[in-house]
Amino acid sequence: MIKDFLQYLFDGLSTGAIYSLIALGLVIVYRGTGHLNFAQGEMAMLSAFLAWWVSDNWLPIWLAVFVCAAFAFVLGAVVERVIIRPIGKRSVFAVGVAAIGLLLGINALAPFLWKVVFPEPIGSLFPKENTDFVTIGGAHWRYENIGVLLVMLAVAAVLFVLFQKTKLGLAMRAVATNPESAPLAGIKTGQVLMISWGLAAAVGAIGGCMVASVNGNVTSTMMLAIFFSATAAAMLGGFDSLVGAVVAGLLLGIIENMGAGYQPDIIGNELKGSLSLVIILVVLLFRPSGLFGSRRVERV
Amino acid sequence: MTLLDVSGLHAGYGPIEVLHGVDLTVNEGEVVVVLGANGAGKTTTMRAISGTIPRRGSITYAGKAIGAARADEIVNAGIAQVPQGRGTFVDLSVEDNLRVGAYVRGDDPSADISRWFEVFPRLGERRTQKAGSLSGGEQQMLAIARALMSRPKLLLCDEPSLGLAPIIVQEMFRILAQLNREEGTSILLVEQNANLAMEIAHRAYLLETGTIVASGDAKEMLDDDAIRKAYLGY
Repeated sequence: MIKDFLQYLFDGLSTGAIYSLIALGLVIVYRGTGHLNFAQGEMAMLSAFLAWWVSDNWLPIWLAVFVCAAFAFVLGAVVERVIIRPIGKRSVFAVGVAAIGLLLGINALAPFLWKVVFPEPIGSLFPKENTDFVTIGGAHWRYENIGVLLVMLAVAAVLFVLFQKTKLGLAMRAVATNPESAPLAGIKTGQVLMISWGLAAAVGAIGGCMVASVNGNVTSTMMLAIFFSATAAAMLGGFDSLVGAVVAGLLLGIIENMGAGYQPDIIGNELKGSLSLVIILVVLLFRPSGLFGSRRVERV
Repeated sequence: MTLLDVSGLHAGYGPIEVLHGVDLTVNEGEVVVVLGANGAGKTTTMRAISGTIPRRGSITYAGKAIGAARADEIVNAGIAQVPQGRGTFVDLSVEDNLRVGAYVRGDDPSADISRWFEVFPRLGERRTQKAGSLSGGEQQMLAIARALMSRPKLLLCDEPSLGLAPIIVQEMFRILAQLNREEGTSILLVEQNANLAMEIAHRAYLLETGTIVASGDAKEMLDDDAIRKAYLGY
């Protein structure tokens, strides 16, 4: 009984950690420019392909993760500068459409660039033998699951320090809350937005590498379902809260695994993704700003 | 010494031109007021100088042409603007707002922050609160303090008294006058409350439908019956 519960919890925490990573990227972009980046998951997929390519040919897998995060940073910054900013000047909806276009384009680009059709095997970031786990209450907490969770928490901690303790983070928060006035304080808004998109893509890329490592392969569809659950997590967390993204991501991961585990016939693995959508529907009915989102209060 | 020299300034919004060739100067250590009715182009003048809207014409600041400079470059050059409607960062704490104000500086702004908390004790009491939770008067104080954190030589103040209680307005003008007197900060002021503004001003310009129609010593302008009746209301 408790064993099952713990097992679902452990599995859920690592699924959730991946949702959190993608959701963190979504939140960074949303705070910066007010856009939902539909291509967040696919940009992570492209980055994971790069990690696979680099680790297959040249570098150990962990170094490949850093290379791919750096690549993703540049990719995100370029996307902001070349696609999002010019289109955003005309209409917010057009940006949404452009991002969906990017989703489809990148989804087709990765298999095209590397001429692959089937999932390509990639090495694991964490010990992955059948015996690599700690036993707690009879349940197995695999090293891999612990590792993914720790990576997410480390990324979240770095982001927190960046946003709260550095001058760049201060500028990013200033642009997020009042983009019109930020230049009046001497902030180069354009530069800050490029960095925001780059950062979001890099965080997403780390998420993509975690997914690849857990699955043991890279494939062009690897991020699709995850992206939907991560979007649900970002919404549940409040869309402008980093803490919200972390907590809601973990929460959804746990709920999905518990749902699938306790109701294998009704929910099971097939429907567990929809569970997230039902939950955000209910939560948003009662708390439209999400669990941690700031309800904007402004006195005039 | 001329600090700011604006000549032939044209600006507007999209196809609509609001300023049709504005000329004005601000000398070092001066408080200059721009008077004018609603829609005359006062706020547009400020925005054109601070680089937040596209403009044509020549703007020279401390001998440097800044007519084509971006808003952030202009702040770096030493001009800070308190925009109309405050322009504070509502989701940031009061103290973080001041830190944002010091963004262009390379040094530690802590001493200046303490100093402005002494000048505006209400802000000091609320240093960890979000700026959005402050009252209108407090937000206006914060907007001014934020602008001053960059240690500007020229402060552009757009309707600082808008929507504030009379006693707070007086307090604010006292602080602006003191700032000008003690620090030598030049101030270009746009203000509906012309009486108070003229009290602290050295010179004034009269803006009508996008052009300067009169200018002169603040005292002389006050003696002009027509101007007094039209803009000061007595």
